[in-house]
Amino acid sequence: MLGAPSYERDRCVTGIRGLDEILRGGIPYGSAILVAGTCGSGKTTLGMEFLMNGARAGEACAHFSATEPSVKLLENVRQFSFFDMSAVDQGLINVFDMDVLFSWLGLDKSTFNLDDIDAMVKAITDIVNTIGVTRLVIDSVTSLCYKVPNEQLIRDFLFKLGKSLSTLGCTTLLIAEITSVGGTAHRSAFGVEEAIADGIIVLGDVERMGHLLRYLQVVKMRGTDHSRAKYALELTRSGVMLTPMLKWGVSD
Amino acid sequence: MIEFDAGIAEQLSQVTTTSSVQVRVGTSNSEMVLASVLQPLIQGFGMGGVYITASKTAPNVIEMMNTIGLDISPVHFIDCVSPGILGGTQNPYPNIGYVDSPIMLESMLLRSLHYLENSGSQQNFVILDSVNALSIYNEERILAEYLHTFINTCQNRQILSLIVNVPDQTPAGVLANMDLYCSDLIDRGQVVIN
Repeated sequence: MLGAPSYERDRCVTGIRGLDEILRGGIPYGSAILVAGTCGSGKTTLGMEFLMNGARAGEACAHFSATEPSVKLLENVRQFSFFDMSAVDQGLINVFDMDVLFSWLGLDKSTFNLDDIDAMVKAITDIVNTIGVTRLVIDSVTSLCYKVPNEQLIRDFLFKLGKSLSTLGCTTLLIAEITSVGGTAHRSAFGVEEAIADGIIVLGDVERMGHLLRYLQVVKMRGTDHSRAKYALELTRSGVMLTPMLKWGVSD
Repeated sequence: MIEFDAGIAEQLSQVTTTSSVQVRVGTSNSEMVLASVLQPLIQGFGMGGVYITASKTAPNVIEMMNTIGLDISPVHFIDCVSPGILGGTQNPYPNIGYVDSPIMLESMLLRSLHYLENSGSQQNFVILDSVNALSIYNEERILAEYLHTFINTCQNRQILSLIVNVPDQTPAGVLANMDLYCSDLIDRGQVVIN
């Protein structure tokens, strides 16, 4: 019989106001999502709010920080009323410094080979498996990939990581830094991350008469219908808020 | 003691939180009309609210209302004028938030919703003051689109919206759209004799 498909994948409800509506209910459970954005576009805040909402629902969450020390990250995020430090104290949000992890694995080197990548993937998935993490943020995957010397190894790394985490039922946000989000620009620094990810959420700026307005756009999301429109993003004390961007206010 | 416009209070007693009211003012009576709108909403109906000011700075509006004798401290202001003035955001009022510029239309809407979500008030209003000031910075088509979105968002969230304009100085296309989208009209606009 023809008609609407009756099967719906289970969703990881992000709890971010507007995003679940854009995703028709949330991120398909166990997906690895690339959150690619320019500097100051709200990537880290979005990632922390995603984790905090999971912690509030009793889920075990983890954050791997490669761009700034975890102490500094937590100090910055405490300005937001959505963030509750007790979630960290109670072990619902587990924050790891990638530098510490590298040191622990003996990976204090400038370039990684295939064995190093396997060791890193194993370490991350072991932590996820041991704690029972269902929401993970890696901030940023770009910083990790700078140590990987070629596209093939980056592809291997991300594919293995995504597959392992998906098998464990962990929904992952891979935060990526990009310098431009123009119409034809790559949505990742190395050009391979976007092909591996189950979904791509782009954060950037629209310039309007010299002012920068933040926006969010879901470009790809396997396993669900979703809006592909641009949404104006506002960082409030309560976290991220989204509303459809005015059509006459988008220049490109 | 200044007398408020009782006709406005009477009209406002008929609207609901899904109403959108076009408030037409003249260039010489706007302060009294706005005070007559705010007084019943705050003191009569006990509503919480947001006042988006693009015409004057929020401290200017607060001081003007205080002079009239209206305590406006329950209202949260979103001020998109003061950030454009050197030192404009330095003032003693805690109930003011800022948006960088009147062109950041989506930010005004999101910040209004954000405040109202956290206000704890059961019944809320948003005043947009004014379409004329926004039209200085925004093209007619984006302004018309914004008012369409703004009014429908407020209706959807059961927030009473009040859109202030000086009719004979409002772009014709924008005015026509407001006539279409708004459910009610408080008309205290000037009579223009050509």
